[in-house]
Amino acid sequence: MSSTTAQSGLARARRGLAPGGSGAAPGKRKSKLSAQATRTFFWLLLPSVVLLVLIHGYPLIYAAVQATHDGDLLQTGNFVGVQNFSTVLSSPAFWKAAQFTLWFTIVGVFGSWLVGLGLALLLRTKIPAGNTFKVLLLLPWVVPIVVSSTAWNWLVATPDSLIPALFRNLGLGTPLFLADPTLASITVMVFKVWVSFPFMMMMISAALASVDTTVYEAASMDGASRWQQFTQITLPLIARSTYISWILMTIFCVNDFPTIYLLTGGGPVNATTSLVVLAYRTVFQDFATGPGVAIAFLMTMTLVVISVILYRQIRKSSVE
Amino acid sequence: MNASSEPRRSFSRRGFLGLTAAAASVPLLAACGGGSASQGGGGGAGGTVKFWDMPWATPAYNDAAKSIAEGFSGANGSKASYQIIQWNNFYQTFSSAIASKTGPAVSTGGGFQAFQFEQQGQIAYADKVIDKLKANGQFDDFLPGVLDPFKSDKGYVAVPWQLDMRVFWYRKSLFEKANVALPTDWPSLLEAGKALKKVGAFGFTTGAGAGNNYANHSMIMMMVNNGGGVFNKDGELDLLNDRNVEAMEFVLELVSNGIVDPAAVSYTTDNMSAQWKDGKAGYGLFQVNVPQRVGDTSGDLLVADPIKGPHGDKATIVFPNNIMMYTNTPSQDASEEFLVYYLGQLKQLWQKKLMSALPVFKSITEMPEFADDPNNVKIVKDWQPIAKTFASQGSKLNANLAALDGGQALNQFSQTIITGKADAKTALQTFQSGLESVLKK
Repeated sequence: MSSTTAQSGLARARRGLAPGGSGAAPGKRKSKLSAQATRTFFWLLLPSVVLLVLIHGYPLIYAAVQATHDGDLLQTGNFVGVQNFSTVLSSPAFWKAAQFTLWFTIVGVFGSWLVGLGLALLLRTKIPAGNTFKVLLLLPWVVPIVVSSTAWNWLVATPDSLIPALFRNLGLGTPLFLADPTLASITVMVFKVWVSFPFMMMMISAALASVDTTVYEAASMDGASRWQQFTQITLPLIARSTYISWILMTIFCVNDFPTIYLLTGGGPVNATTSLVVLAYRTVFQDFATGPGVAIAFLMTMTLVVISVILYRQIRKSSVE
Repeated sequence: MNASSEPRRSFSRRGFLGLTAAAASVPLLAACGGGSASQGGGGGAGGTVKFWDMPWATPAYNDAAKSIAEGFSGANGSKASYQIIQWNNFYQTFSSAIASKTGPAVSTGGGFQAFQFEQQGQIAYADKVIDKLKANGQFDDFLPGVLDPFKSDKGYVAVPWQLDMRVFWYRKSLFEKANVALPTDWPSLLEAGKALKKVGAFGFTTGAGAGNNYANHSMIMMMVNNGGGVFNKDGELDLLNDRNVEAMEFVLELVSNGIVDPAAVSYTTDNMSAQWKDGKAGYGLFQVNVPQRVGDTSGDLLVADPIKGPHGDKATIVFPNNIMMYTNTPSQDASEEFLVYYLGQLKQLWQKKLMSALPVFKSITEMPEFADDPNNVKIVKDWQPIAKTFASQGSKLNANLAALDGGQALNQFSQTIITGKADAKTALQTFQSGLESVLKK
C-alpha cells in the first residue's frame, strides 16, 4: 500500500467509511439513518434525563423557592425576594463560617493530597507487607465517620485524654484540643486530612500505575535527578488525576458536615462552624428555613464556579 | 486525531458540569431534603393509630413502650402501631411526614414541637382527653403545675407524660475530702468550688460540646434561680434585666476562679458523664438518674439541695415532655382513646426502671420502684415544686422556645460565658440580638 493510499485509508477510517465505498452516500439514506439514530438516542437518554431532573432539578427548584420565601419546612410563606440572601451576606456569622470553610477546604484538599501523594509514591516502591499497608491505610476512609469521630473525641477531648496526657508527660503543658478555638480549628482540619488521605492515595496510585516506567529509565540515562524526575515527569503525568481529585475533594470539604459536627458541633464559640454546619443549624436549630437554604444556595454557586475553573485546568493539562 | 480530542470525548464539558452540579447540590439536598416517613399498617374499623416515639432511654424503654402501644385495642376495633424516630433531624422527619400526610396520629417528640406544629394547624387539641382524664380520676393525679403550660387560648396543645428536670448533683466523697459543706446559696457555692478545686475537682460541672445542652440549661437555670429568665412575665424577650446580668456575673466569677472546667466548652454529654464517673466532677447541674447514667451506683453521687440566689429566689428549670395528637388521623376518637390508654399504662415504664426522667403522676412517684431511690424522692419533694420552664419569667410554653432551646444564639452565649470570653452584659446583649433575629413575633 502506498503512502497516499495509507493516508487515505486512515482518513476514511476516521470518517467511518467502508473500503471501496465512494464516500458519497446517498443524502436521503444518510439523513434517514441520522434521524433514526437521533430518535434512538433520545429514547435511550430520556429515562436518565427524567431521573436527573427529578432527583436534582426538583430539590433545586424547591430550594430556590424556599430561599426566596419566609416560610418553614411545612409552609412556603411569603415571597421576600432576595431578602434572605442579603440577611445572610450581611451576617458576620456567615463570613466567619466562610473563612473557616475556606481554610478547612485548603488544608483538607492539599493536606490530604500531600499525604496521599507521599504514601502512593512510597507504596510504589517495594516495601515488605506493602499490600497489608495498602489495606490498613484505607481504614480512615472506610471506617464510618461516626466511629472515627468518637475515637478522635476520646483521644483529645478532656485534659486526661491520651494525647493531652502525652503532651503533659512530655512537659508541653496540657493543650485543650477541642476547647481552644485555634486548636479546635487545627484539630478538625487534621482530622479531615486523616479521613481523606486514603482517597487521594488511591487516585494518585491509579494515575501512577498508568505511567510507563521506561520514561523514568530514559530520564535516568539522560542524567535527570530523582527530584527532576518527580517534578518534570511524575507530576505532569498525574496532573489530570490530580485536578480531578482536587475538584472532588473541594466538593467533599465544602459539603462536609459530619466531620465537623460530630467532633466539635461547630464550636467553641463558632470557631469551627463551616457554611454547611451554619446552614444546618440555621434551618434545623433556629428554624429559619429561608436564610439557611440561601446559605446552601450560595455554597452551591461557589462550588460550581470553582469546579469550572479547575475543569479548565484539566483541559489545559490534557492539551499539554 | 489531535492531542485534545480524546480527552474531550471521554470527559465532555457538559458531562463534567452535570456531575459537578450534582455533587455541588448536596448541601441543598441536605438542607431541604425530606426525612424518612414510615407508614403505619392497616387497621380495623377505627383504623390504626400511628404512634411515633423517641429513644427516651435505653432500647429496653422502646421495647416496653412498643409493647404498651401495640396492646391498645379501641372501642371501634382501632389498633396502634409503634415507630421509633431518632433524634437526629427529628424535626425534619416529622415535618416532611406531616407535609406528605404520612405522619403520626399521636407522638412524643421535642419539648416544644407541639407548639411549632400548632402554629401550622397540624395539632389536634387535647381538651377531650383532659375531660376523659378528669372522668377517670387521672387528672387529679398530675403533679402540681405540670399541665398548665400546655393550655393555649385554643385548648390543650399536648399532654405531659414525663419531666426532664435539671437538679444539682454532688459527689459526697469529694466534699468530704475537700472538707467543705454543701452549698446552700451562691456564696457557699463559690467557696465549695474553691475547696473542690484544691482536691482536683470542679464545682460547677457542665458541658457545651457537640449535642450537649447542659451548659445552655445551666445558664438559664442560674438566671431563673435569681428570679430572672429569658422572657418577662408578658412573654417578651428580656435578657438584659438586672437579675440575669447578676447571675451571669456570678457564673463568670466561677469561671475566673477555675471552678468551671476550662475544657467543658467542648464536652459532649459522654465526656461530661466520664468526668462525673472519674471523680473530676464535684458538683453540677444534671438530669434524673445520674448514678445509672454515668455508671456509678455506689451511693457516692447524690442530689443536692436547691440553692438560694442572692435575693432569696430558689428555682430550677424543667422540660415537660409531652404527647401530642395531630389532625391527620384515621379517627380523632381513636387518637384520644389511645392517648388516654397510653397515659394510664405509663407506670409500667417506671415500674421496670426504664426512665431517666420524673413521672408526671403522683401515684407513680409513690410506687416503691420509684420511691426506693432517695435521690428520686428528694427531686420530687425539693426540686419539682420550684421548677420553671424555659418560658420563665413567663408561664406559657410556645413555639419560639424551640428556637431558644438548642438554637445557635443560646449555644454561642453559653460557650462565651463558660470560656469567659466576654463580660455578662456584652454576652447577654449578643444573645438578645441573636434571639431577636430568629424569634417569630
